[in-house]
Amino acid sequence: MARESVVPPQAAAQPATTARPQGTGKKRLVYPGFTVPFILLVLCFAAWGSAANLTDVLVGVFRHIFTMSNFQSSLVQFAYYGAYFSLAIPAAVINRRYGYKTGVLTGLGLATLGGLVFLPASRLLAFVPFLLALFVLAAGLSILETSANPFAIAMGPEESATQRLNLAQAFNPVGANIGVLLGAVLILPNLTPEPAKLVMTHQQLRDSQEHDLNLVLGPYLGIAAVLALIWVLIALRGRATPAERSQETGDAKGGVLGRLWRNPHYRFGVAAQFFNVGAQVCVWSFTIQYATDVVGVPTRHAGWYLQASLLLFLVARFAMTYLLGIFRPTLLLFLLAALGVGLAVIAMVSLNMVGLIAVVGISLSLSLMFPTIYGVSLQGLGEDTKFGAAGLVMAILGGALMPPIMGKVMDQAGTATAFIVPAICLGFVALYALFDLRTRRHAGPLVAEGAH
Amino acid sequence: MPQTLRRRLGRLSPRLVAVSLAGVVALGLGSCGKQQDQVTVGLIVKRNTNPFWVTMKDTAEQTADDDNVKLLTAAGTSDIDNRSQVAALQKMTAQGAKGIMITPANSRAIVPAIEKARRAGVTVVALDTPTQPLTAVDALYATNNLEAGELIGRYAKAKVQQLGIEPRVAMLDLAPRITSGVLRHNGFLRGFGITDRSPQIVGSAYTLGETARGEDAMRRLLAQNPGINVVYTVNEPAAFGAAQALKAAGRDDKDVVLVSVDGGCDAIKNGVRPGVIDATAQQYPENMARLGVQALADAERGGPKPRGYKNTGVELITADPAKGVPSKDVGFGVRNCWG
Repeated sequence: MARESVVPPQAAAQPATTARPQGTGKKRLVYPGFTVPFILLVLCFAAWGSAANLTDVLVGVFRHIFTMSNFQSSLVQFAYYGAYFSLAIPAAVINRRYGYKTGVLTGLGLATLGGLVFLPASRLLAFVPFLLALFVLAAGLSILETSANPFAIAMGPEESATQRLNLAQAFNPVGANIGVLLGAVLILPNLTPEPAKLVMTHQQLRDSQEHDLNLVLGPYLGIAAVLALIWVLIALRGRATPAERSQETGDAKGGVLGRLWRNPHYRFGVAAQFFNVGAQVCVWSFTIQYATDVVGVPTRHAGWYLQASLLLFLVARFAMTYLLGIFRPTLLLFLLAALGVGLAVIAMVSLNMVGLIAVVGISLSLSLMFPTIYGVSLQGLGEDTKFGAAGLVMAILGGALMPPIMGKVMDQAGTATAFIVPAICLGFVALYALFDLRTRRHAGPLVAEGAH
Repeated sequence: MPQTLRRRLGRLSPRLVAVSLAGVVALGLGSCGKQQDQVTVGLIVKRNTNPFWVTMKDTAEQTADDDNVKLLTAAGTSDIDNRSQVAALQKMTAQGAKGIMITPANSRAIVPAIEKARRAGVTVVALDTPTQPLTAVDALYATNNLEAGELIGRYAKAKVQQLGIEPRVAMLDLAPRITSGVLRHNGFLRGFGITDRSPQIVGSAYTLGETARGEDAMRRLLAQNPGINVVYTVNEPAAFGAAQALKAAGRDDKDVVLVSVDGGCDAIKNGVRPGVIDATAQQYPENMARLGVQALADAERGGPKPRGYKNTGVELITADPAKGVPSKDVGFGVRNCWG
């Protein structure tokens, strides 16, 4: 997944221990012979981070190339997150039936194919083929992610599972930053200037469109090449793990759904996660548009503000990990969600650099939300935890549905006003935190959400 | 796959990764185009402080960087400083520029210096402002001011119909016989569907395109005719002046249709976006500079010489579109404004 590498239900319940194998003084991270496969797997985490956050840049880029509305260009995220949502269950089926290695290879293969579909898409000079390419790419990445997390867990002793997973997932935000960097350096500065198009002949316009689409093509072909390479190497070196420990969630036992539905912390938690992911994708998808359309930052420089958002997100993540040890998680969640609402409102009313800084600052408030909502929602679910986690993962649908809504508002009421959408989303998250703070319940241990 | 081969390939993995990644990078670098021969081109603007000319110069420099062009630049000390422009033409010709772009500060007085440069083999393109006569230069790259005026005239007419009001038009012009001002004025009349003698025009005044004079002129016109509900302004500084006078007279933004020409960033953000200026026709100095540098560089490299007039584009920008009049939103205006 793009923003939040979602650990599947199986991994979520892993104990956070890094025990040493009996009889040795040294922690073993992976089984003997699994060092190279593990490194390759780590590359996968970085690769999907890159691909995912490059789509944030694409929302603005496609609007520019095809001279389309914000709503239309936001369909990029609909295709991407829609694929993630749609493929989550099939991916789990593949893993259960054929094993994680097959899952990883299937995901890599499909994602590579998606990257390659960019090639004919760029020749057709049409938007829909690009959406198709993105859908296929994201479908592959969805399978890859669903398989890679438990694959990483299965590559070594159970005692070091969390450490292994944390290490692997640490490369996801690195990849995410590389993805935005690719867009900021290779695509945005080289796009045909918008005023230049006003005086072009029909043929010149087609040529400029072809030139600009080739800019998009480059990074995706690069990603496809890297994914293909990893596919080959994993096929050759990646062994099936000695024991792909059965971590089936099991069939939905009678009553699980009912129990989860009757649990307001869980029910509202899924909704809060939906709005959190929605807010995150909205803010990152339209940061570049805010910079160019509201503040007047030149397109060639606008990508750096998105880059700053991601770096802030990354740094704040570490800081929040520390603060979560001091404060009650939902208190921090409430404060940061309220901060996010405040920053979104500033973005709506300060139509200048202050507003843009506020937009970048929203990433600070987003930084702790996914893991905190994840943990709080699953707290005390007991044997329903694994099944419940699946529902939280499916909340990624917010990333597919909210950007088109924000795009529509942008088209009707302006770019700055449209930040009412993430403001409402974050407001819901704040309400969820408040609900938890004001409710007495059994204080079970928080469920860790992998690397976050 | 045989086990031995599998093992060998496996051992090669790190090396294979490195080689393949290097290949990807090399492919990327290889796709960079071949560098063209460097040529020298000059740009002479009216002055270095006006955002319009600054945008033009910045774009020329960026285009020159991209196209391996050595760009010589010069500017006058004011919008009417012909002497500095003549000196710059001579200096650039001596420095080996085979193509020069100029924004004439004095359309007639600059002509002898241009003719001298052309006799020395220099191709001269006028940007933004035409020379008199037009044929004194090889080409003119400029906004179609008649079209700019027509766009805001059509918009004002559509708004008047939408509001259902009887138009009482005030014309805040530039100055007598200044081509760009005359063309904008005539374009507005054409777009609105009236002439200078039409009864809808209740007053007019020259503003020199300045805020203070615009405000003063508007105040006087309102004193003569408080019912003015359509205001044409030749540029945005004059429009801001008119808006101040209208506000001082207690007139609501919504009751008056105020239109202008230029598309500067300040006007788009603080005039059009909040609705103080209802619509403006945005021009693109960056197109003048980009097209000028590219055309002159092409010509120096053996391509065709630039000839005739090239329209550098104009778009109607408004936060409140009028039915039947094509326009772009404020976001577009902010993205592409100058200054």
